[in-house]
Amino acid sequence: MINEQLAELSNLSLVVAIVLYVLALFGFSADLASISQKRSDQRLAAQEAKDVDRVLHGAGVGAGGGITSGAEDAGTTPASSAAGGSAGTGERTPGTMTAQKFAFLLAGAGTLLHVLGVVARAAATQRVPWANMYEFATTSTALVMVAFLLFSIKRVELRTLGTFVVGPVLLVLLLAQTFWIVPAAALTPSLQNSHWLIIHIGIAIIATALSILGAVLAGLQLVQARHERALVELAEAGGEHPEHWGRAGHVLDRLPSSTVLESLSFRIHSLAFVCWTFTLIFGAIWAREAWGRFWGWDPKEVWTFIIWVIYAAYLHARATGGFRGTRAAWLALAGFVAVVFNYTIVNTVINGLHSYSGL
Amino acid sequence: MNEKTRPPARGEAAPTTGASDSWSSKPEVDGKGPATLPGLGLRGTLLFLWRQLTSMQTALILLMLLAIAAVPGSLYPQRSVNPALTEQFLEENGRWGEILDALGFFEVFSSPWFSAIYLLLFISLIGCIVPRVGVHLRQLRAKPPRTPSRLTRFAGYTRTELPGADADALLERAHKALRRSRYRTEVREEKSSRSVSAERGLLRETGNLAFHIAMVGVLVCLAGGQMTSYRGQITIIEEQGFSNSLTQYDSFESGAWFDESQMPPFRFTLEDFRATYVQPGESGNVGEPRSFEADVLVTTPGQEQRSQTLQVNKPLHVDGASMYLLGNGYAPEVTVTDPQGTVVAEGPIITVPLGDMGYSSQLVIKAPDAQPEQTAVVGFFLPTGTIDDQGPRSLYPDALDPQLALTVHQGDLGLDSGVPQNAYEVDVSTLTPVTGEDGNPVLMRLYPGQEFELPDGTTVSFDGLRRYAAFDIAHDPFERWVLVSALIAVGGLILSLFVPRRRVWVRVRSTADGAVLEVAGLARSDDPMLEEDVRALATTLQAAQDGPRDSAHRPQPDRPSQAPQDPSEGSAQ
Repeated sequence: MINEQLAELSNLSLVVAIVLYVLALFGFSADLASISQKRSDQRLAAQEAKDVDRVLHGAGVGAGGGITSGAEDAGTTPASSAAGGSAGTGERTPGTMTAQKFAFLLAGAGTLLHVLGVVARAAATQRVPWANMYEFATTSTALVMVAFLLFSIKRVELRTLGTFVVGPVLLVLLLAQTFWIVPAAALTPSLQNSHWLIIHIGIAIIATALSILGAVLAGLQLVQARHERALVELAEAGGEHPEHWGRAGHVLDRLPSSTVLESLSFRIHSLAFVCWTFTLIFGAIWAREAWGRFWGWDPKEVWTFIIWVIYAAYLHARATGGFRGTRAAWLALAGFVAVVFNYTIVNTVINGLHSYSGL
Repeated sequence: MNEKTRPPARGEAAPTTGASDSWSSKPEVDGKGPATLPGLGLRGTLLFLWRQLTSMQTALILLMLLAIAAVPGSLYPQRSVNPALTEQFLEENGRWGEILDALGFFEVFSSPWFSAIYLLLFISLIGCIVPRVGVHLRQLRAKPPRTPSRLTRFAGYTRTELPGADADALLERAHKALRRSRYRTEVREEKSSRSVSAERGLLRETGNLAFHIAMVGVLVCLAGGQMTSYRGQITIIEEQGFSNSLTQYDSFESGAWFDESQMPPFRFTLEDFRATYVQPGESGNVGEPRSFEADVLVTTPGQEQRSQTLQVNKPLHVDGASMYLLGNGYAPEVTVTDPQGTVVAEGPIITVPLGDMGYSSQLVIKAPDAQPEQTAVVGFFLPTGTIDDQGPRSLYPDALDPQLALTVHQGDLGLDSGVPQNAYEVDVSTLTPVTGEDGNPVLMRLYPGQEFELPDGTTVSFDGLRRYAAFDIAHDPFERWVLVSALIAVGGLILSLFVPRRRVWVRVRSTADGAVLEVAGLARSDDPMLEEDVRALATTLQAAQDGPRDSAHRPQPDRPSQAPQDPSEGSAQ
């Protein structure tokens, strides 16, 4: 039944994918570090240029503000402005490899192997690759990576978020590879004979992947909002080049603004909420076919219900004055905590009807 | 949910920064302050409480409370889910367990506090959507609102001078284009110009209301199901039959409005039960189940007999009931004869699996008619048995080497005491074991076809082996309506999240040498595509204008089209 060679291949490509992700993570982090370095250099250059300008033209040049724009618009030489302008996109001059491009390519290669690993596992077992915790983790993280890469092919500025996507994915993969790994095996009777295994768990995987992406965005949004507030306060206090959180602050300056992150987070959480709703409905239909009742307050059902209610609260909070923005983002993160709890503690510690998969 | 329909507080932009600010956004206390509250009277107070309950903040808090209140339901064993585990927890935790029990922690989902939260939530929801339905119905009938006099501050504002254009034709084209894109439109005559005011996305609010109404539907259907559904457990040995009536069930529970006469009169016979397990050398854990199959022959009134194979995930459906394969075990055929030669027990005996991998199962036979004393045979059925220093146990769940390991006890079984007894258990502490010559209790080890005679003349024989299957039979008449409500809810949810609600305006003013075209839009929800769409509309209208005028005319890059005056303004949100 089980094709052992394919199972081997699956394990191997996942391990190689992990190695590539580690390298990609280095690349993305180096990119962030270099951004913050460049920011400092640029700031100095801009400062000098402005001083020169002041001398030459009086104070007629707009400060350009160092808050949002990467390239200074005044006074710099064409060469330095080209370098500054490319800092965010990683396309300095054709032929050279920036840290970000390097990381992006490695992440792409890693994702290919990751997907190959998942597909090989499916081929080895001749079923969908999500019948236990290990497979659920590898498949959902593969989906996160594919979604991230697809998003960031179109929107190059999102690539700066690579660290915050590859990092969590790597964490989950390492956990899966260390604690949850089980040999490829056929299905237990409770998972057989049901297309709901494909539909219910498939949609749950999509929902989980979206929750991970959404949580990354909501977390960044909170940090960014705090950073922006601090900068505004500093600017009001009269600082001409407000500095906040040092180098980390420079990284944040390069990331999308909290408003952009918020609206992206909302769109992803909307999709996630719809997927969680379907997970509940399809789960109920399957529960009715398997256990004779569509809802029985099994721990897994309870926690999926909790996730759903928290995300519902998030969507309502976003439409309520005073809760929009930061408070809503905290709710989104609370929803993600429930997702993590549902996946880890409920699967391993709490005993329920969903504990059929060994792990 | 009320936030959008409530009239804005007059003259003040309520700085709603938290629940404590809800005061300032209430029109009725506007300008007077909380001091007027005692004067509200009963009606006023009730109105005030109602407004509070149906406010969005309250709904939010109730949602969060609902999430938190559900947590203990997953951490503590629930009586409705696992009664045995609940009793065990109570025994182990003494006083603490009693306190938790009194607070309802073992019946969280039917506890007063949990019910209070979701009932308040649903009252709040109803109080919120009823007025919104009225508002929305009015809106559906209303015409798109008047075109604002200055469009410059709206999203995607584009102004184009089109020399030689016919203003009315241009407006008519704009009107058609918008209608084609499924906007509701209204042509307005203005002082020195004409305009089309267009609106789209009322489906968003329709979906929103549908979602919330359907959630009420889900709750109502759940309650209906609670009252009318039934569920029972049966255990059937191979070659034995079952006919659907209350007396045949091992256990049965039903709602208050359940009517026994509604039970469908079907019958079935369990012809064969098969189980397969992971064998040594196969991948997977040895002894893990691979398949369970139960062949049943079903008779329903007015229909031909049919045979069907039930599996996990493959229940049997007859009109008005469904039957699910949920358990199985072994039923060894045992004959017990008392010392006087009378057969006092005969036939297959349902054994209870102990839960180990090897499917060791407990066997209890009570023979109250045995002479001279009542007799109980207790012990184990072992599918692949061995007896070593760990005692009798089974190595593999399949019946590869089936055997019985039994002892016989005599004395008063207490069946006449009037206290109901569990058929699968017997208390041997009050009974005397039958001993051998060495004074130790005799341990019989029997293989199929064997017979064992005890020193006192009692004989026990292991005649054969059958399997049994455990089924649940259940029916919930409201089930399908729960599903329908849930699907309506999710449909409404998708509309309410992803249909953009927007307004678009096109204004055309005739000038001496042609016309001036202005296009702009307003997002009334998250609408990242609005600006793009508005500009695309403007471009289409310009291009259409170019076309008929001079088909050979190539688009000029320096056409007198103006860039938006303030590009940052359109996207500012």
